[in-house]
Amino acid sequence: MPLSRWVFALADSSGRTGGSSAALATVTSLPNLDERALVSEAQAGSRTAFEELVRKYDRDVLRLALNLMKRPEDARDVYQEAFLKVYRNLHRFRFECSFYTWLYRIVTNVCLDHLRRRQARPEDQAPEIHPNRMEEGPRDFFDFQKEHRPTLDPERTLMGKEIQSRIARAMERLSPRERVVFEMKHYQGLKLRAIGDALGTTEETVKNSLFRATRKLRNELAGLR
Amino acid sequence: MSGERKILRCDAVAPLLVFYTCDEVSAEEREQIVAHLANCNECSAQLAQEDALHGAIERIPQAADQFDTANVLLSQCRSELSESLDELSAPKVEEGWRPFSWARQWMALRPGWSAAALMLVGAIVGTQAIQWLPFGSSVAPSAPVNVLAASKIPDDKLQTMEVSNVNFSHSTGKIQLQLEAEQPMTLSSDEDDVDVRRVLTFVVANGDRFDAGVRLDCVEALRAAASDEQTRGALLAAARRDPNPAVRLKALDALRDMVALPAVRDTLLVTLQRDPNPGVRVEAVNLLVRALESEDEAPEVLPEAPSNFGPGVALPALPSNGRETEQRILHALDELRQHDSNRYVRLRSAAALRQIALQEVQ
Repeated sequence: MPLSRWVFALADSSGRTGGSSAALATVTSLPNLDERALVSEAQAGSRTAFEELVRKYDRDVLRLALNLMKRPEDARDVYQEAFLKVYRNLHRFRFECSFYTWLYRIVTNVCLDHLRRRQARPEDQAPEIHPNRMEEGPRDFFDFQKEHRPTLDPERTLMGKEIQSRIARAMERLSPRERVVFEMKHYQGLKLRAIGDALGTTEETVKNSLFRATRKLRNELAGLR
Repeated sequence: MSGERKILRCDAVAPLLVFYTCDEVSAEEREQIVAHLANCNECSAQLAQEDALHGAIERIPQAADQFDTANVLLSQCRSELSESLDELSAPKVEEGWRPFSWARQWMALRPGWSAAALMLVGAIVGTQAIQWLPFGSSVAPSAPVNVLAASKIPDDKLQTMEVSNVNFSHSTGKIQLQLEAEQPMTLSSDEDDVDVRRVLTFVVANGDRFDAGVRLDCVEALRAAASDEQTRGALLAAARRDPNPAVRLKALDALRDMVALPAVRDTLLVTLQRDPNPGVRVEAVNLLVRALESEDEAPEVLPEAPSNFGPGVALPALPSNGRETEQRILHALDELRQHDSNRYVRLRSAAALRQIALQEVQ
């Protein structure tokens, strides 16, 4: 999968692994010390430092928002709301976790709010756009995974489309939290503990959410086994 | 940890297979699962299904890959965020305390209702609330209050102006003045009664500055207002000091109906004694006789006559509210009768004394 440049591991705010207050650690072009200085500058009111922080992480934030919301306009709203919250509350950040963890906590909370609102008022929402449901173009499961195609088997192609369609339907039935956990686990590549940190909950809770989500998907695909 | 490997049962392994597939089990659990799978075909088959599902999930195309392949959306988001940050960073415009801003906003949107409401409030305040004001009790409700319009002619302008013409209509009583000043103007008693009277009295009281004809016209115009104290003061001043005898004469004539007033009598007395013009003195005699005649109706009677007014004429006892003044008048008449340079004045004074004496006898 096109997992990002992030390499996730358990780490505390000072970068030590295995601590009780472990959070996400990132491997970026800048060392953590540089990021700490950048955050401090932004906290002191430097607009440049803040915008550098934004450009450092916003691609992944938008990606997460797009994958969760499935609609560009909603993803744009999430992006705006999340970074404005970060800007307004940056003075509250105490370096008790990594900036990335803190940022992801805000982003996932904003996504959850949007998903919950959407779930509460489905009549007000435009239908989600699923890439695998798009009829035009060669945008099917196997088109994106050509290296996995041993042959150009029409039956397999059809089955691939069916699988994608059912997974998309099953994803819509997930609760907002299950959806976020599923996304962060399978498409952001986060560890369950890191997901728990981002969502402000325990690893066990995240584990339960992932288990329920997987079971729903499996049930949806049961007829295709 | 003991050397014995704990073999998990199927119902314990099955829930772990999801996490085993995505590498979220501990090393101990992994070892136990591997051991169980080696002897359990059913769990191995389930693991194969989990692997297939996991693979299918990971191979699903991502929305992010579909919607923003050229980073257009990312650029839009960055631009919008920058604008939002600009707005947040902009210094807030401090608004001062604006009392009743809600009322002003309401009124701005409803001008008709606002005008009606303001008129109603004004009427209520004017008729009701004024009595509660502190100065309200000091003013009697029925006491008339003179409210004068602002004068068009300030004092400094009054000193430098010239009156070019005075139009007075006896039938209507209307007066029109044409003034020559830095800015010529015309005043009419219809619209500028206060200013007209102010100019007239100024002209009459300052005889040396204006043309005699103008002064005569002004005295004539003021005749009807002789009962006004200020106007009367100007006429008295003209009667005493105006250089032109015709003006003095006209001023006395204008005061004809006011001879009962002490100030007018004093002026008549002064005129009798000091005015150089015989005609003016004669007019003063006439007015004094008239004044004394009007006093006859009063009950008080002087106890004794002060002097003999000539052959066959006894000084009458004159009724008066101001005995000293009347005595001075009689003596002044007697002086005129005996010593005035003008024969007609002497004769008129003698006639006046006789007339007064006859009236007293009757």
